[in-house]
Amino acid sequence: MAVTGRAASVRGMTLADAWRTFRTAIKLGWAIESNWSDPFLFAVYTMAKPLAAAGILVVMFQVITGGQNPEFLQFLIVGSALWNIVFGVMSGLVQSILEDRERYRMIKYVVVTPTSLFPFLLGRSLARVAVSFVAVVLTMVVGVLFLGVDLQPNLLYLVPATVLGVTAVIALGVFMAGWCLSLRQEAWSYPEAIAGALYLVSGAIFPIDILPTILHPIAYLSPTTWWLEASRRGLLGHGSPGAIGGLSDEVVMLILLVSTAVVIPVALAAFAWFMRRARRAGLLDMITGS
Amino acid sequence: MNRYASTTATNAREAAEWSTGRIIRSNLRAVIGRAYPRVIGLTREPSWLFFEIFLPFLAVSAFVFVYRALEAPEAYVGFVVLGGAMTAFWLNVVWMMAAQFYWEKDQGNLELYFTAPMHLMSILAGMAIGGLVMTSSRALAVIGIGSLLFGVTYDIQQPFLLAGVFLLTMVPLYGMGMLFASLFLLWGREAFHLAQLLQEPIYFLGGVNFPLRALGPVAGVVMATLPLGVGLDAMRQLVFADSGVAGVLPVGTEVLILAVMGVVFIVAARLALGYLETLARREGRLTLRWQ
Repeated sequence: MAVTGRAASVRGMTLADAWRTFRTAIKLGWAIESNWSDPFLFAVYTMAKPLAAAGILVVMFQVITGGQNPEFLQFLIVGSALWNIVFGVMSGLVQSILEDRERYRMIKYVVVTPTSLFPFLLGRSLARVAVSFVAVVLTMVVGVLFLGVDLQPNLLYLVPATVLGVTAVIALGVFMAGWCLSLRQEAWSYPEAIAGALYLVSGAIFPIDILPTILHPIAYLSPTTWWLEASRRGLLGHGSPGAIGGLSDEVVMLILLVSTAVVIPVALAAFAWFMRRARRAGLLDMITGS
Repeated sequence: MNRYASTTATNAREAAEWSTGRIIRSNLRAVIGRAYPRVIGLTREPSWLFFEIFLPFLAVSAFVFVYRALEAPEAYVGFVVLGGAMTAFWLNVVWMMAAQFYWEKDQGNLELYFTAPMHLMSILAGMAIGGLVMTSSRALAVIGIGSLLFGVTYDIQQPFLLAGVFLLTMVPLYGMGMLFASLFLLWGREAFHLAQLLQEPIYFLGGVNFPLRALGPVAGVVMATLPLGVGLDAMRQLVFADSGVAGVLPVGTEVLILAVMGVVFIVAARLALGYLETLARREGRLTLRWQ
């Protein structure tokens, strides 16, 4: 049955309630992500996937260059490591909402409680996001210890770049979660498809100059492009090869700031619109079976 | 009215004693019935078509651009495109064979499979045949689009041997999927994690995006365990005969390894399924949802 009303005027819906919802959802998300799994398998899963992804790129690099051009290897390792966050956020937010709708069938109950779905969704997905940060650290540690990645962190640049970039990625994830909530078919495939498309255009593992010219505008519009570039500068002390690497640090940070400032309100407005649509169309308790 | 009139049996025990022909016909019907939705899904679910071509193609493109950025010889682009096509089969094996029984259990179908008068191997064979047909179209699309967009050229001197190697690769590959289907069910809730775990690490170990030989001694382990890696290495030797990049072993040896793997995985799948069936009937727990 469609849930059409909003319990906006219910007393007690304060910031403290939202915080409590958020905390509870974090515990729930973590329980589903880790406690329901075998700890050994969970640890292997957390480590093997990002390391193998980076390993593929390292072997490709070694086969072609024989170890020459270490700067390109650093570019590959950092891009591959950071991309775990994009995938973790996207899949975390989207799969939380789809699992709760279709597998555990709880989302309709969450929606009818006098709280907002938004803090629940953020908290519920945080476990996967946390795992993705572990993957980043792990890949970087392996890069530094075994592959000669020379980190020269500039925290004054890296910290704001990370805050802005991760916020932009979360905004993209919120947009995706809302979108998938309103889809009837193949919603599970969308985060992988969108994250894969962004992976291609954001210069994660190759300079965006290599892309066909028609894709350049998309690459320059994506906040993930500027987050990766700013993070590389904050971590390695230099930017990517190619045109984007020629920009000054200030320009890169400014574009990251602007693109993040644009994507946040757009994503929140889109999520609210998708939620209204889902309520009206009765999609909150839909099971696609896909 | 006689309840067993249609079989001319006089009691339930007699009705359960099927002739060999009837058992075979029933199991063949199960194979066709389980393959049907996957084959017919080719036309009825355009979104499947889109995602199953689009997702491998995105990965293929990214790795092609990495090779372009590294100014690699063009043969490597072809390696990636062929690897991307084979990835479609691997994804099909992981998500639509290995994890399938787990999803079926969640949807309540598995208990019906156990109670239906047919062998579960027939269901797995149907899933494999349907999946193979469905994925072949995706793999061909990846090769076609990849070849056109990235200008891949092939040097195939033994097309029949190539077709034979491809088919021979599919036997252990889907046999492995059948084996994993039982194991995933036994391991329960970790099905999603297991399926995820069988992606990037297997792409790495299978040399999906680079010549397997580059893994050094690890390639020897792959040769003994992973049909995707063995088949891909053999096919690359046959498809890019002029690339100058050597395989791990001669094609003939790899064909022999694939044949042995095929037998081993199918027999192992049969044994695992027997064990699973025993557990399901004795404990009545494996077929229950949410376990």
